[in-house]
Order: sequence, then structure tokens, then C-alpha cells
Amino acid sequence: MKNATRRGFGVVAGVAVLALTATACSGDGSDDGSGDAADAGGQVTIKVSTFNNFGFGAPSGTRPGADLWKKYEAEHPNVKIEETVAASSDDARAAFNTAISTGTGAYDIQAVDVDWMPSIMAQPDAFVDLGSVAGTNDWLDWKKEQGTTPDGKVVGLGTDIGPEGICYRSDLFAAAGLPTDRADVAALLGGDSATWDTYFEVGQQYTDTTGKAWFDSSAAIFQGMVNQIQYSHVDADGNIIAGTNPDVKAAFDKVTAAALKGQSAGLQQWSDDFNAAFKSDKFATTLCPAWFVNNIRGNAGDDFKGWDIADVFPGGGGNWGGSFLVVPEQSKVKDEAAKLAAWITAPEQQAAVFAAASNFPSSPTAQADPTVAGKTDPFLNDAPVGTIFANRAKAVTVVPFKGAQYFDIQTKMADALNRVDVTKEQTPEQSFDQWLQDVKALS
Amino acid sequence: MTATPVAPDKPQQSPRPAHDATLERRLRARGRRGRLDVRLSPYLYISPFFLLFLVTGLFPLGFTAWVATRQWNTITGDGGVAVCGATCGTTDPSVLANFQWVLHQPAFWDALRNSFSIFLISTIPQIVAALVLAAILDANLKAKTFWRMGVLLPYVIAPSAAAIIFSQIFSDQSGLINTFLGWVGISPVPWHANTLASHIAIASIVNFRWTGYNTLIFLAAMQAIPRDVFEASVVDGAGRVRQFLSVTIPMLRPTLIFVIITSTIGGLQIFDEPQMFTQGTSGYGGPNRQFLTVSLYLWDLGFNHVSIGQPNLGRSAAVAWLLFLIVVVFAIVNFLLTRRIASAGGAHATKSRTKEVAR
Repeated sequence: MKNATRRGFGVVAGVAVLALTATACSGDGSDDGSGDAADAGGQVTIKVSTFNNFGFGAPSGTRPGADLWKKYEAEHPNVKIEETVAASSDDARAAFNTAISTGTGAYDIQAVDVDWMPSIMAQPDAFVDLGSVAGTNDWLDWKKEQGTTPDGKVVGLGTDIGPEGICYRSDLFAAAGLPTDRADVAALLGGDSATWDTYFEVGQQYTDTTGKAWFDSSAAIFQGMVNQIQYSHVDADGNIIAGTNPDVKAAFDKVTAAALKGQSAGLQQWSDDFNAAFKSDKFATTLCPAWFVNNIRGNAGDDFKGWDIADVFPGGGGNWGGSFLVVPEQSKVKDEAAKLAAWITAPEQQAAVFAAASNFPSSPTAQADPTVAGKTDPFLNDAPVGTIFANRAKAVTVVPFKGAQYFDIQTKMADALNRVDVTKEQTPEQSFDQWLQDVKALS
Repeated sequence: MTATPVAPDKPQQSPRPAHDATLERRLRARGRRGRLDVRLSPYLYISPFFLLFLVTGLFPLGFTAWVATRQWNTITGDGGVAVCGATCGTTDPSVLANFQWVLHQPAFWDALRNSFSIFLISTIPQIVAALVLAAILDANLKAKTFWRMGVLLPYVIAPSAAAIIFSQIFSDQSGLINTFLGWVGISPVPWHANTLASHIAIASIVNFRWTGYNTLIFLAAMQAIPRDVFEASVVDGAGRVRQFLSVTIPMLRPTLIFVIITSTIGGLQIFDEPQMFTQGTSGYGGPNRQFLTVSLYLWDLGFNHVSIGQPNLGRSAAVAWLLFLIVVVFAIVNFLLTRRIASAGGAHATKSRTKEVAR
């Protein structure tokens, strides 16, 4: 363990600098190492880090929630839960990486996006095996696999999944002479055999009639396409195949061609402009993973009318995102934290989260729960979101492999698409070439 | 010499006790200790700073230098001596490999260009504006404290808060400025797409925060200028502007040096503003590195993009050291240049003063 001692050197530096903070943090009596604070009759504080909206906390303003922490605290009077919410998964990721690498400062429970699971799987020793606490909880097989190491250690407990439908603006569709009923829209886009080609053809029709954009952002559409490729940027052995993969190039060409014909609103995902556009008439459709409904509603405002969802997705089903909860070994209350993580990801709680917010359960039991299956969403024109997302989840056939370099390569791809679509400074060919260089620099 | 020698009173009254050698030694020791005390204790008093500097400044500097020679991953740690890899077409381990890799990256050179550009666009107007503001505040205003507090107010605002507000103002499509330009009939400025426009936007965030701070420093220095110098210039028939240019500014030179050097260091390390100016979460510094600065690059490389197996922290440490060297070189150049100006100015000031006295 040559690495361990060297890393210890870095820890000393961190500890020296953060000595004051550290003592301040651990001085609250929950610092008894074994995690058996409950036996000592002491109070246990469990610190949880999440991002966007996991729907666990009390609802507030634009953040719907199932108020589950309160429920758990009521059942366990000695437990106190503090949730810290980062604005985006990238913000949370940077803090998380620092905490894990320095060995200090991690939360007791960390929410982790599926795109950063590879870096967690590479060092399972830093995380608690949650296999024993998971108990009777159930998850979809592929969801469970994503959180389990090859030798069977359960590192992450699944929260939600992101089955995708198409969200559309029925008012803009009507103005363009397109059907507005969600079954008709699904048929218009090709129904069960919908392809990206039909999606872009209908889009061209819309753009030609109205002069407005069809979709929000090239990077978003590309994300939907790349999530249908099993080995996109990295192959099973961890080799980078991004530059030579014909599927990636084909997806890039299709989406940039559509963007250059005016189908894209030219918005950078998650930017202020992007957020503001959900209550304007700038675009008519967007890819719609279940959790994204929260974002649309938050950006457009609760009383905004027009957004609807169709039970269809181009190129077969697609899953975008979905998260896990992990418990770092460095947690002082890891036993209590593991119990809480198992409880909050149990089917009943997953169902409650979907009922309150829009994060679709990864547990088949929860998916079959009447509060999930029967849910309609007034914001989406009373769409039966429970059945729609269940259908969309069933349509997912490909579970993309995301190797160690996936996240970085995909980020650079978003840059490449934004150079064509948002800042409009390069042709698709120039931008793709620059992306190839960026990928090379990652080696 | 006939007079009987009169022995001095004092020794007689209290003859030095010859036998008390221990006391003498003790006294002498006390004297030595006293001298030692006078010599050493100032160093002791200031030592906490240097000890703290050793721990928080010098040690990280050395440690970073060491990391910069290694294949160091943020999460998995040290992986041996650095290798440049596919970028330079070599797999030989070398302590300079991370530096080679960094110097081969177009991103690094873009970042360097941006850092300098943003630094220049922000520092020069900022110092000019701060000087003018300080001169105004130095004049006989009503409610002086109110105005002086007012200029410092932006400095109290957290950099990220200021940057969030400004990034909404500078949004490409829905931003305040572009909406306003639309009303006037001017086509919107692509604040995030155009390199120069993005630098101007970021510089304006920096200026918003730091102008007031520098103004107060200049104001303090201006108040230390003897009033009789101003009176003399009035007698000589100098107007307000002439007074400002020929009296105030030359007398401010030492303060100017301080402000210029600290602004240089701060300007080259600029991080918060371009980081918050990034729209969305992917691709810090713009899709084509329009506003990627060196410190933003080193953060993105070391802590944001973390691929297992990639020596990202080693390369990030190499960037950190390159930035450190650049800042040191600039601080030295700056110091030499401004010292020349200052000494020339100082001599000038004394000369004119003697002239005044002679008159």
C-alpha cells in the first residue's frame, strides 16, 4: 500500500489546515466511531448531501418533496437529519471528489449521479457495503447492477431512474397545425417504432411553418441519443473508442444538421437562458426524463399552461440519469447512515417521492404501487404520468456502459455541440475535430 | 596636584560589595537577557505569522511542486513519476512530464491569454476610477461617511452572489443588457460566445467589487497628504484638475505601487467571476475556452474532471506552479518598474518642496 502512506501525507496537510473546523464539527457528541450512538442513548446527526431535487425533504416553493426526513426522525427520536442540497450535480461532484480523496469532509450519505459511478466503483474500499441493510428492498436488475461491484459489494442504493418521454407544448403545436392530443402526438412521432429521423422530420415541418425552434438544445438531444448506445465513448475494456465510433459520429451529424436548419433554440443546457425559455415560446419539444418534469415546472412556474407529455421516444426507450446513495467509510455514524439510506430507498419511500415530486422509482414494487401507477400530473395537462413513465421504463432495452473516462468525454462533447449550436462559431466538422483533440488530451 | 583627592561620594556610600560575585553575575546575565530580549522578542512577536505561513503557504507550495512531478490522481492518489503520454508521444517517466503536457495544451495558452486580457481590462479602468472616486470623496462633501461607506458596499457582497446577478444581467438571450439593447435597436452582444465581450463582462464584475476597496485605500493615502502642499498649489494658481495631476498623484506613488502589485496578483489569479459566469454545468470557461482563466483551468483539471487512471492532480499542480512562477515574475517586474517611477517621483517631490521653502 505505497499509495496509502503517500495519501496520508496529504491528509496531514488537510488536517493541519482544517483542524479548527474539524474539532468544531465533531464536537457534538455523535463522534463515537462505532456508529452505535443509539445504544449510548446519544443523539445522532446524519448529514446528507443531495443535488437538484431528490424530493426527500419538506416541500418548499419550486421544490416539491415528500417530507420523509421528518417521518424518519419521528420513528427514530435519537436521529437528526441535515440535508445539504447542491444546485447541480457538478457542484456536488467537485465537493464529493475532494472529500473522498482527502479522506475528510464527506457527508454521511452522499447522493451520486449515475455518470460518476465509475469513479466510485474504482475504489469500493472507501464506501460501506450496503448489501446487508438493503434487506427486502428491490430494484430493477440493471439499476442494481450499476451500484454493485463485480465481486458483489453493494456500494450504491438506487433512488430514481430517468425513463424518457417527449414533453411538448400543446399550445404551440396547435398554432402550427400539429395534433395536440398526447396519443396523436405519440403517433405523429412514430409511436412504438419512433426514430430520430421522424423526430427531426416533424421538427423540420414545425420549424418551416412557424419559424421557431423545435427542440431546446443540441447537447440535450445528443444526450438522449448517446444513452441508447451501449458502448459509446469507452468500450468494455476501458479503451477510448469515442473518436472512431461511427454511432457517435452519426448522432453528432444528425443533431448538428438539424440545429443548422433552425430546429434548435441554441440554448446551453442549465444556463439562465435555458431556464428562462421554458415559459417562453422559444421551442416546442424537449426530451423528458421523469425527474426533468420538476425542472420544467420550476422554470415555467406552477400555473403555466401548455406543457404536456407524449408516451413516445425516438430510437426506442431511453434512460437519462437516475441516482444512488452511498455511505463513505469515513462517516462517523456509518451504521445509522446505512440504515437511513436503506429506508429512504425502500419501495414505500420511492413511491412517496414520485407522488410528491416527479422522480420515478427504480423499484418494481414501487412502480406497481397504486399511488405511482395512478398518478396524474395537473401541470402536464393531467397526463397519466404514472403509466407513461412505467411504459417508458419498459421500453428501455439498452443499458449504456459508462467507463472511467465517459464523464469527461461527454462533457467535451457538450462543448463541441455548443460551439455549433450556442455560440455558432464553428462548423460541425471543425468542432468535431477539436473534440477529437480534446479526447486525445484526456489520455 | 596638591589637593587631597576627594573620593567620589557614591562609591563610598554604596561600595560595590566585592564578595557578591553571584549578584554581579546575575545582574550581568539580566543585562544580557535584556539585550537578548530587545533583540529577539520582536521576532517572536511576528513569528506566529511566519509559522502560519510555513504551514499554510510554504508547505503547500513545496508539496504542490512534488505532486507536479508525479502521476497523481485526485481520487486514487500517487501513481509514480509523471509520464506525458499520447500528447507528447512519449511514455518515458520524467519529473518534467506534467509540465510538458500542460505546455502542449492549447487550453493552457488560451487560459493564459484570457487571464492577462481580463486582468488588463479590469485593473486599468479600476485604478483610474478608484483614483477619481477617491479625489471626489476627499473633497468637502456632505454626509462624508455615508458616501465612503457606499463605495465599499459592493466589496462586502460575496463574489459568487455578485457573479450570479451579473451573469443574469449578461445572459445572451434573456439578459437585462441585451433586452435593453434590443429596445434601442442594437443587435444583442453575444456575451458568452465572443471572447472580448466575455472578458469585458467578467471585468465589469471584478470592477464592481474592487473599485470601492481601492478607492478607500487611495482615500486614506490622500488624507495623509499635508494640506499645506495643496494650499501652496492654490497660491500658485493651480485648478482642481492640475492639483489632482501634479500634487495628488505624485504624492500617492507608494500607495499606487501597493495597489498595482496587489491587483496584478489578484488579477492573474482570477477565479470566482469566470467560474460563475459559466452558463450551465458543463464546460467551464465557455465551449471554446472563451473565458477560461489559468486558475479556472487548474481547478477544472484537478477537481472537476476526475477520470480514474488519469494523472489529473499532477497536471493541475504543474499548472499551479506555472501560474505561481508567472505571478512572481510579474510581481518583480512590476516592483522594479514602479520603484523607478516612485524614486524619480520622490526626488521630484522633495525638490519641488525645497523650492517652495526657498521661495
